[in-house]
Amino acid sequence: MNPALEIYYEKVVLITGSRRGVGRLIAEYILHNGGKVIGFARGEATINHPNYKHYQLDIGSSSSVLECFAELKKSTDRLHILINNAAVLTSQYAMIMPPASAQAMFNTNLMGAFLVSREASKLMRKARWGRIINIGSMAVSLEPIGDSVYAATKAGLAKLANVMAKELAPVNITCNTLSITAIKTDMLAQLPQNKISSVIAGLPIPRYAEPDDIFNIIDFLSSVRSSYITAQTIYMGGVN
Amino acid sequence: MLDKEVVQKIILQSLRNLNDERDLGEQIAVSLGTRLFGIDADLDSLSLVSLIVDVEDAISNQAGLVISLTDDRAMSQINSPFNDVKALTEYIQLLLSEPV
Repeated sequence: MNPALEIYYEKVVLITGSRRGVGRLIAEYILHNGGKVIGFARGEATINHPNYKHYQLDIGSSSSVLECFAELKKSTDRLHILINNAAVLTSQYAMIMPPASAQAMFNTNLMGAFLVSREASKLMRKARWGRIINIGSMAVSLEPIGDSVYAATKAGLAKLANVMAKELAPVNITCNTLSITAIKTDMLAQLPQNKISSVIAGLPIPRYAEPDDIFNIIDFLSSVRSSYITAQTIYMGGVN
Repeated sequence: MLDKEVVQKIILQSLRNLNDERDLGEQIAVSLGTRLFGIDADLDSLSLVSLIVDVEDAISNQAGLVISLTDDRAMSQINSPFNDVKALTEYIQLLLSEPV
């Protein structure tokens, strides 16, 4: 049997930021491997699949998240895996970073992940099994100029996972962070090419991440066999 | 609005559900006087959290509206609504009596 099929078959997976970029790649991969995907995003669905259900919301809004979960619970009381992927990025020197852009990063990247994890873990608790995977960033380790707030939110995201890992361990829910390196997405396209090239050249494995590099770690963290892996941050490409 | 007996029944059932997840030697004595919070509480912290989540869910389902038992107001009450089943019942009734 295809190992990924064994991991995701009939599993219900919630992915935030599922419309594009890494979130969409992961959603399509899990759908391809027999999982059922619930997508949370600000915009309309970009995935058309019988096992995909889309909710349009701002995850940084507590009331929107609560309303969405109330709606979600009408159709399912099961949730096996949560992938907190949604993120926004404004790269700018802190001295001229617009406060509204900084606030938007905190709202989506950190508060949104907290609000969704909070509700998702209540559903997982009932089944006494779950996987929460936060999509972090190499920016936490590399600390590139311009990414002060973005890196701070992603560092916070990893800490969120680590503390929730302790709180949720008694109900067999693991919480981990996958800190990805640069992958060719819309988000990356916003950054200057010379900045990206310089960051990539400095990596121990100096290349862009490929989708399968990400799927490999998502598989590992989602697997039933990974029940003893929690509160960990996994970096890619040799970043540490 | 849910009456007092219904609210109490939901809380007591949620406590019994917690017992289903606990070993025989760790069973909680379920009654209106069960201490939910404080130094002499019958529940550990994770059990209290689980109880709150279950009660919120059940009340929301039965009353048809979302209630939050852990907002700033609950945390700032002089007499904690989590002292015992009776106090929690009264607090829930207060929340349910307010306009949405």
